Amino acid sequence: MFPILGIIAAAAVITAIDMPTLWRKKYVKEMWVFSILLLIGTGLSIAWVLHVKLPSPLSLLAIIYHPFNDFVTRLLT
Amino acid sequence: MPSTAKISPRQLTILAAIITVGDSILILPSIPTYEAKMDAWISAMIGLAVGLLVIQLFVTAGKLNPKLTLVELNEHIFGKWFGTTISLLFLAYGLLSISAHLREIGDFSVSQTMPDTPIEAIHILLLFIMILAVRLGLETFTRLAEIIFPWFILFFLIFTISLLPAIDINKIQPVFDNGIKPILRGSISSIAFPFMELVVLMMIFPNVNNASQIRRSMSIGALIGGIILFIIITLTILVVGAEPASRSMYPSYDLAKRINIGEFFQRIEVALALVWVLTTYFKLTVYLYVFSRGLAQILRLKDYRMLLLPTGMIIVVLTLAVAPNISFYNDYTDKYWPFLDTTFSVFLPLLLLAGYAVRKKMKSSH
Repeated sequence: MFPILGIIAAAAVITAIDMPTLWRKKYVKEMWVFSILLLIGTGLSIAWVLHVKLPSPLSLLAIIYHPFNDFVTRLLT
Repeated sequence: MPSTAKISPRQLTILAAIITVGDSILILPSIPTYEAKMDAWISAMIGLAVGLLVIQLFVTAGKLNPKLTLVELNEHIFGKWFGTTISLLFLAYGLLSISAHLREIGDFSVSQTMPDTPIEAIHILLLFIMILAVRLGLETFTRLAEIIFPWFILFFLIFTISLLPAIDINKIQPVFDNGIKPILRGSISSIAFPFMELVVLMMIFPNVNNASQIRRSMSIGALIGGIILFIIITLTILVVGAEPASRSMYPSYDLAKRINIGEFFQRIEVALALVWVLTTYFKLTVYLYVFSRGLAQILRLKDYRMLLLPTGMIIVVLTLAVAPNISFYNDYTDKYWPFLDTTFSVFLPLLLLAGYAVRKKMKSSH
């Protein structure tokens, strides 16, 4: 519970830092992008704290580049 | 979002040199010494030569329209939908690179110097000063790089000279013992990690106040960085020896531990670690700047600064999610990362040049 509160507090601090300027300047689109990114960040952080298994981006690389690596390895051994 | 920040060709040279050295000074030497053993210095030389060619390629692509950043160039040449897709992939590559390189610093600090510190603490601290630098803008952090660069060179010279007495020429012989193939295997990473990753600078070409100097600046910068890496790899073989170096995770760190002049001048390896953290920090700062500005350009936002803190939160999770442990990380990055770099530094510029040629032909046939 404690780490989740910490993450929400961090998100609140980030909002307090950036939101007022955007609000004053009436940057509507910027506010949307900011909120969506912050929501993704908070969501991912909470998922991590709750030990949800996030797939490693490197496994995706392995799927895409596996044939290339195989080819080069065969060529150079 | 037009950017008014201007940097000089000299500053671009320094940025290129620092990014070339970047994380490679500590991470790279173990890969060619593992593949090519005592011939790793030849791998490094091949890496430098091919790396410089790759730089010529993407500088040529960037010069198709020097007033546009890579994101704008994609849209200009490939049209709205395809161009934006490529730009988004490029930004994903940037975000993944930031997370991976940050994880390298974290893993190093936790395994070598600060075993009781949680790895997240190191990541968050570094991210914090990266975000600070990017918020202040491109001009500010390039000026900082300009101030730090001479000190970096000075330290490197002291480092090299104090290792000269420990050199054992027998460790580099025999040359070409295993033929050319292991050398080429070792050179793949020596091309990709230092030189191909310079492609992110395509996003700041329009900020250089003298566009005609870009090619020269990039080449000189990469050459300086490449020579530094070449010397480090060669010294690693000559002092530590190929066998122990190939088994070590951080051979140049072991190299610095060997420095001992008159039982007095010794234990300077932490200074090397500091230099490494510093150059990686600049590399990451440029990546973060490129990512936030690229995203702002795709979405046509008026500013990029408010993207930084939320992005930072995502990066903190990505650095942890990128690999469950250091051996998974090393295994996957050694095998697949060079191909990822190749995709964006060779394939993408070729695609841009081809797209430009096709467009030109279509225009002239009308």
